[in-house]
Amino acid sequence: MTVYAAPTRDMLFVMTELAGLDEVAALPDYQELGVTDVAEAILEEANKFASEVLAPLNWGGDQQGARMENGQVISSPGFVDAYKNFAEGGWNGLSAPIEYDGQGLPELLNTPTYEMWNAANMSFALAPLLGAGATECIKHHGSDELKATYLPKMISGEWAGTMDLTEPAAGSDLSNVKCRAVPEGDHYLINGQKIFITWGDHDMTDNIIHLVLARLPDAPEGVKGISLFLMPKFLVNPDGSLGARNKVDCVGLEHKLGIHGSATCTLAYEDAVGYLVGNLNQGLMHMFTMMNEARLKVGIQGLAISERAYQAAVAYAKERVQGFAMKGTRGGSRVTIINHPDVRRMLMTMKSQIEAMRAFNYLIAMHMDMSAHHPDPEARKAYKTRLELLIPVTKAWCSELGIEIASIGVQVFGGMGFVEETGAAQHLRDARIATIYEGTTGIQAADLAGRKLVMDKGAAMASVIADMRAVEEQLAGASSDDLAAIRSSLGEGIKALSIGTEAMLAAMAQNPSAAIANSVNYLMLVGYVCGGWQMARAALVANQKLAAGEDTDFYQTKLITARFYADQILPKATALAQTVKAGGESTLALTEEQF
Amino acid sequence: MSVLVIAEHDNATIKKATLSTVTAASKIGGDVHVLVAGKGCQSAADAAAKIAGVSKVLMADAPHYNHELAENIAPLVVKLASGYGHVLTPATTMGKNFMPRVAALLDVAQISEIIAVESADTFVRPIYAGNVFVNVQSKDAIKVITVRATSFDAAAAEGGSAAVESVEITPAAGLSEYLSQELTKSDRPELTSARVVIAGGRALGSSENFKLLDDLADKLGAAVGATRAAVDAGYVPNDYQIGQTGKVIAPELYVGIGLSGAIQHLAGMKDSKVIVCINKDEEAPIFQVSDYGLVGDLFTVVPELTKAL
Amino acid sequence: MKVLVAVKRVVDYNVNVRAKTDGTGADIANVKMSMNPFDEVAVEEAVRLKEAGKVSEIVAVSMGVSACQDTIRTALAMGADRGILVESDTELQSLAVAKLLKALVDKEAPGLVLLGKQAIDDDSNQTAQMLAALLGWAQGTFISKLELGDGKATVIREVDGGLETDSLTMPTVISVDLRLNEPRFVKLPNIMKAKKKPLEVIKPDALGVDTSPRLVYSNYREPPARKAGIKVPDVATLVDKLKNEAKVI
Repeated sequence: MTVYAAPTRDMLFVMTELAGLDEVAALPDYQELGVTDVAEAILEEANKFASEVLAPLNWGGDQQGARMENGQVISSPGFVDAYKNFAEGGWNGLSAPIEYDGQGLPELLNTPTYEMWNAANMSFALAPLLGAGATECIKHHGSDELKATYLPKMISGEWAGTMDLTEPAAGSDLSNVKCRAVPEGDHYLINGQKIFITWGDHDMTDNIIHLVLARLPDAPEGVKGISLFLMPKFLVNPDGSLGARNKVDCVGLEHKLGIHGSATCTLAYEDAVGYLVGNLNQGLMHMFTMMNEARLKVGIQGLAISERAYQAAVAYAKERVQGFAMKGTRGGSRVTIINHPDVRRMLMTMKSQIEAMRAFNYLIAMHMDMSAHHPDPEARKAYKTRLELLIPVTKAWCSELGIEIASIGVQVFGGMGFVEETGAAQHLRDARIATIYEGTTGIQAADLAGRKLVMDKGAAMASVIADMRAVEEQLAGASSDDLAAIRSSLGEGIKALSIGTEAMLAAMAQNPSAAIANSVNYLMLVGYVCGGWQMARAALVANQKLAAGEDTDFYQTKLITARFYADQILPKATALAQTVKAGGESTLALTEEQF
Repeated sequence: MSVLVIAEHDNATIKKATLSTVTAASKIGGDVHVLVAGKGCQSAADAAAKIAGVSKVLMADAPHYNHELAENIAPLVVKLASGYGHVLTPATTMGKNFMPRVAALLDVAQISEIIAVESADTFVRPIYAGNVFVNVQSKDAIKVITVRATSFDAAAAEGGSAAVESVEITPAAGLSEYLSQELTKSDRPELTSARVVIAGGRALGSSENFKLLDDLADKLGAAVGATRAAVDAGYVPNDYQIGQTGKVIAPELYVGIGLSGAIQHLAGMKDSKVIVCINKDEEAPIFQVSDYGLVGDLFTVVPELTKAL
Repeated sequence: MKVLVAVKRVVDYNVNVRAKTDGTGADIANVKMSMNPFDEVAVEEAVRLKEAGKVSEIVAVSMGVSACQDTIRTALAMGADRGILVESDTELQSLAVAKLLKALVDKEAPGLVLLGKQAIDDDSNQTAQMLAALLGWAQGTFISKLELGDGKATVIREVDGGLETDSLTMPTVISVDLRLNEPRFVKLPNIMKAKKKPLEVIKPDALGVDTSPRLVYSNYREPPARKAGIKVPDVATLVDKLKNEAKVI
């Protein structure tokens, strides 16, 4: 199947030269750790694990997905050992607190490893991804007792964690959660059913810790009556050993379009023991504290699967011989398809957007570190504001591009891509979920346009635009043709973003429904321009390094890739701005019957 | 100046790699002398004397030279080397073992695994797993060299009539002791490490017919592999599969039989040194990557080939 | 007992190295560098010996440019206790490396030296044997099994005909083959710990070793391209070609 090697050179470039690893490493909470000294070694060793252990299991996970036997979920071949090695390698605790035996490293260092796990094997990577979410939630809201009992083993990876939210009638709208929790002594007895629970049951760990949304019998209706409970698969004795099997059972697995290696479970609770996490009736709010992390990680999935699809496409394009080189004359010998102009277009379209996504995602990771660890409260607030604004863009723009790029990957393979055997199709099928879970693209767009943008009347976005303009200014000083072209395109992109933002603010004030109908276009506009902004920054760095004669191959490639993005991708912003400006009235104009 | 070749032998006969090393020595110029060091190695020394182009054989016969322990052989070679401009030995595990020890004791560099002689002091050798060839020039008074035997033709084993001269025995170092040897079992070698691989495709038609390949493989000491199509058809188990989704191999000799050369299969074997294919469809893509292609019905060609070997 | 492990920083085994077009060298500017895979096996063996209680301290040694410290850190993350870099910006050939190692052995007095059987850049396969010669020690090359006994080491060597078992007087120099073990994946907490382990940097001069190169390399080039194949008319011709032209049977 397709092989994977992490693009560690580009990852390090983005971390250190665009996303500010030095600044993050200098934060008081990280100073002692020597983050910059270990960054490269961590990336190299994570790459070994991802490429040699996880990537080879990806195809098997697709072909023989998780299955049920006698009420127990059996993971895909090799997953149990891989998970054990993953946990023993300490990878699960990279950014977890040192007090619970994590390594306490910044999100900016965690993010490239997440890219690797997901590129190597997205189905597998979902297990630690969900576990990290559950861990984070317990860390913020759990009692000291719950933290002491569960966190060390969840962080070490000895126990897994899940998030049990969705029910048949409560998907994107969680206010309709029906699961019931009745107090009994120091705990609650929970009854009900959950669906779509990722890694809801499996054989990779001794215990699984579920975080469950449920409501008390007397709870208020809607979101204000939902509480959060911790429900272990096996109850934990006071001495930390495992006790009785809790009555939480997997009663079915979904048959899915992709991520077959990830068990998507229907869980049934029958008087299952749960412990309250945080305050009664504030479960949804508690859950949302880790929402930004989860959204970033799904954005990373879009990036990761794109990278995997790109590597496969490049390898195939360099190997597959078909047709003759375009020289105006016939004859000569047959060439590999990478020599065909349209294949080049496809590869550059993949490559440039992948690098833009990487730069953008890692920047967001840096904002997470800064907003949580900067010593100055004002600075924390500023980073937080921008993080809140851009996080829906990270999630939706990258997951949408993930599908597009995996699809281009299939196209590069031609007929062989439509045949499952090459693995190109798996990447497309796997990529498809990322725009759906953790809030669909539509929900992300509504969050961006309907909440984040209007909340401060566009002030946060205006500050982003001002930063973009500063980069445009910097480009003005450069003499090269490439930088001039990048500047011109970025200028147009910024203009489009300004126009789109004004139009969206106006529409939200006049006709919110029509505005929301157009919000995905607005979100994609923000995404493409943010990508252009980061690629322009990359071009500036590359230009400097080239002048100094450093790593010319890498920086030349970077400059040309940034130029391609400016020439061929960023102009989409202008069209999107036009759609936003046109308004969403025609989207809504038909009656239901007219469909 | 003369060239000294350290022979690889089994006390009775001279190993073929030695003959190739004699050829390399002849290309350097000067008389070629051969050292046969072993235990009861008179027959081997006599055989060395008959190699075409060898003008003298030095024989060192002592119990502690048996099995060519580096600690015992190296002092002997060092003692003899002062009379020579070049000391050569085959780049076999024997030569690779003791020769650097000789070089260090002489305080000279070793030039490993040469594949060509450019001049008396300049040689060609592969580096980076054979991805790059490079000229290596030695300024040392004595050039200590190991020779990749497959890059030089073997000198004729008969035709020479060199004198055999016994040399003084150096003492045993007393550092190491040979205990035993376990020769590789004659069972089929493992697919990924086999020197020769025979691969079959869907044209074999049945698992019964796949046995045709076994006879050929036995003759060549080869491993047997298959294409995905043959595996999917159930002719052979899936650990036979060579290709993108199966094993990747790079043997010295690959023989593809009754397979078309689908791109996924090629991905698993295209680094083979010599590629041979047998197929009745002369348009099959496998012919494009083969060094030797034979158009014909495998059911007649394969038994014929097995017989001819 | 102390064990010394030599680790070399080489072009990563996944990189397909090409000659520079002007023939002055191999084009390895900015390519990915890693620990020589054979040396990883050597480090792994040392760590296993320590875990088995047969070794008390592992010293990882590398030679070359300052960036070799990364390679040593990898060895430290795998389980070595401390590191020594002999820093040199000029090319170090096998004989020079062996002499530097000898100087370190004289200083550190290990009971065992472990090295990879060859480095995957120059493919020389010399250093361990040269070091053993300079020390006057026994050598065990191309080892696929190592057992330490009382004053003796029993080794299984991978030789052309199969496997050979030898007994070596300790102290000894061992060059390892890939089948000796499977190196572990480095654990994240150990990367963090490795950062704090001691790593000494010294210069060749301090060891009193003349490291000037003895061999001059020139005319780096691509190997000849695969020549176009031919169709043979019959089995006899095929056999003849395989025997006398390709020389593979």
